[in-house]
Amino acid sequence: MANPVFQRELVAHLRAHRSFALQAVFVLLLGALVAIAWPTENRVAVNNPEQARRLVDLFFIGQFLLASLTTPVFAAGALTGEKERKTYEMLLASALRPAQIVGGKWAAALLPSVLLIISTLPIVMLCLPLGGVSLYEVLAAYVGLLAALTCFSMVSIWCSAKFARTTAALATAYLFVLPPALIGVFLWQALGSAAAGSRIVTFIGLVPIASAVICSILFLTLTRLLRYPPDVGSEGRDVIDEQQELREAVGLIIQRDQFPDRLFAPAKRTDLLPDDVNPVLDKELRSELFSQGTLMLRLVIQASLLLAVPLMGACLYFQPRWAPWYLAYVLLFNMLTAPVFCAGSVSAERERQTLDLLLVTTLKPGQILWGKLFSGLRVSTVLTMFLMWPVVLACVFVPDFYPNLLSFVGMTLVVCVTCLVTAVVSLFCSVSFRKSYVSLTTAYLALGCLFLLPQAADYFMQSFLPESAAARVVHSGAMVSPFAAVFAMPLDLPDLGAGSARLVRRPADWPTIAGYFTVQAVLVLVLLRLIVRMFRNRYDAAAGI
Amino acid sequence: MIELRNFTKRYGEFSAVENLTFKIEPGELFGFIGPNGAGKSTTIRFLVTLLQATSGEGFVNGFSVARNPMDVRRSIGYMPDAFGVYDGMKVWEFLDFFATAYQIPLARRKSVINDVMELLDIGAKRNEQVSSLSRGMTQRLCLAKTLVHDPPVLILDEPTSGLDPRARLEIKALLRELRSMGKTILIASHILTELADCCTSIGILERGKLLLHGPIDEVYRRIQRNRRVEVRFLAEQERGLALLRKQPGFVDLQIDGPKVVAEIAADEQQLAGLADEMIREGVRFHSFADLDPTLEDVFMLVTKGAVN
Repeated sequence: MANPVFQRELVAHLRAHRSFALQAVFVLLLGALVAIAWPTENRVAVNNPEQARRLVDLFFIGQFLLASLTTPVFAAGALTGEKERKTYEMLLASALRPAQIVGGKWAAALLPSVLLIISTLPIVMLCLPLGGVSLYEVLAAYVGLLAALTCFSMVSIWCSAKFARTTAALATAYLFVLPPALIGVFLWQALGSAAAGSRIVTFIGLVPIASAVICSILFLTLTRLLRYPPDVGSEGRDVIDEQQELREAVGLIIQRDQFPDRLFAPAKRTDLLPDDVNPVLDKELRSELFSQGTLMLRLVIQASLLLAVPLMGACLYFQPRWAPWYLAYVLLFNMLTAPVFCAGSVSAERERQTLDLLLVTTLKPGQILWGKLFSGLRVSTVLTMFLMWPVVLACVFVPDFYPNLLSFVGMTLVVCVTCLVTAVVSLFCSVSFRKSYVSLTTAYLALGCLFLLPQAADYFMQSFLPESAAARVVHSGAMVSPFAAVFAMPLDLPDLGAGSARLVRRPADWPTIAGYFTVQAVLVLVLLRLIVRMFRNRYDAAAGI
Repeated sequence: MIELRNFTKRYGEFSAVENLTFKIEPGELFGFIGPNGAGKSTTIRFLVTLLQATSGEGFVNGFSVARNPMDVRRSIGYMPDAFGVYDGMKVWEFLDFFATAYQIPLARRKSVINDVMELLDIGAKRNEQVSSLSRGMTQRLCLAKTLVHDPPVLILDEPTSGLDPRARLEIKALLRELRSMGKTILIASHILTELADCCTSIGILERGKLLLHGPIDEVYRRIQRNRRVEVRFLAEQERGLALLRKQPGFVDLQIDGPKVVAEIAADEQQLAGLADEMIREGVRFHSFADLDPTLEDVFMLVTKGAVN
């Protein structure tokens, strides 16, 4: 029998122009990458197909990362969207079985990603005659890809069921999806040089089995959750009891009256606000931060610290010259978390229909904006700085870092500037868009284009067209990325991998460092000016896009 | 206190409000009536500084809406038709937030919050989360927020929508009390019975145009060309009907058993004479009433039921 949930979602998806636009962009992007990197020799060296192999690897990795980034966008709003539209209770109270609801949502969320993957099949088939990659490896890649995306979409739907807002679900989904996606890339690359057939065994055998196990567990958990749903209150909103949630919390507990938790989440007030306080800032920090419960924040902190431990060991102690990679992780974490706290600050007021109440008070636009920006900046910066403690400790306990202290100060400065940029970009999106979900997705897209795309383009050009003038232009453009700035810091550190320590000197790339700070300063100033201008005109602020 | 001069709001080719002009004097309770989509909320959003006019001017408490928006905001308490509340706040925190936003000093804030909570009868909910309140209580909370800075002008857009009958009566009583405190109130609603017995003046808007406005009695007089007399007969009904029909200015008769409603162009003296004549002629009745027009009558007569 047809699943009405799947049918509805499918019709909605097929009616949306953006689905076709996304598919076109996805295929064109991958096609363009292959076209640029296509071997230009008159005769293809079939017996030395290294370049073709690299090309196909890049194609799969690019496709995998892009699909991993888009899957949560399709899936994380599956159930939170119903909650936000206040149709969740109607769905639960219908004659549909929980398995039908979850299955329908899952299939519908997975379909766009599967379509994206299948539509690129002709491009990869073009690469096969170049040699270097067997048909079985292509098959393994596609099976592994589909299995991973199936799992990622189920994880995203689980997040969607656990949270009330799509923004929280999307951010948490990324938190769970990105680490395995990066591990998948690492695994694909590592197995390429391992024994023949290991890629095939892993991606046709192990990855689908792991995916099936995770999906089954989450599916059962979700159907149970929908069968016995928590109280969603008279207006269809989850009623969160912070005290009860803290009592039932597993692992980390946030204690707002104690250090360091009070740095990002000061305790709730028990008395009236003092006269000199910005009420918006106070409201954001003391009331809004945990208005949907502490689950997301607890997950973010625990997952980030869990990932930080092995990375810290590897990059700061085992092989100190990899220290910039740990900083790259910190930057990635900030890119992921800052939009969660800033991209919904104004748009959420629109969604909840409280913006008009705020705008007709005598608060000045600057007070409202400062309150919004500073609260988001404070939370995201404090959470990011939690991950900087290992760097501080390493600077104290690892003697190899002593001559490089100034470089680490520079890297910390890069992290601080990044915190500011991510907060300002997210606030800009929040002021510009009516829906927090659109604002958050746009913020992620903007930050990805600003921070990751230049690095990826630089890597691509250096791999395939290293001597070209375009490669030099792209390399100069990469200075806008904080990742480039971190890796541009001078470091004199030993290479401990070969048994005997050999000092590796990496000179500073001052143009990149100076370029980064200059570009970001200009960007922040321009965006702040635009935000103030848009918000000053209260009519625009109330209407949104 | 509130004045609109040729206010026009267009969205592209579509005109939401066209050349709207009216004035609300201090201490009035003005009922702003119109079908859905008539332009009431557009007008209100302009008055509360949330919307830019295509042309025309507005003044609230003597301040220009376009040129002195901050002074206007200080002067008004605004309750939108659709509004939300902040999750994660208790009732007193919500009121404290808005009291601080209106720069009420800490020394006065506690008593102000207590006063509005008492006025709106939400003191018992003081420590409850606003997200857990019922619809009616949330409505009261928003009204409390509207009053927290003691504004001279209240602009309320559908303040009783979604409330149960008891809560509506209480809000009506509250509006009367607020008016007696000297506040000027503009209230938009399409629940006409709500406005009929508490408004001092009304304005009827349809398709962005003001069809009628003025003091409520004057409006009734203006639209009432004929009087409607309801007679409940006990005996000699036919003779009574004949007397009604031969009255000068007789227009129409509706008979519903012993209850008869006659439409007659007559003044109070003529009606008194008619009652005397019926008694003299031996017609027995237990009720003889000059029916007041209702706001529904006015509304149905003035509007054409057209909705933008």
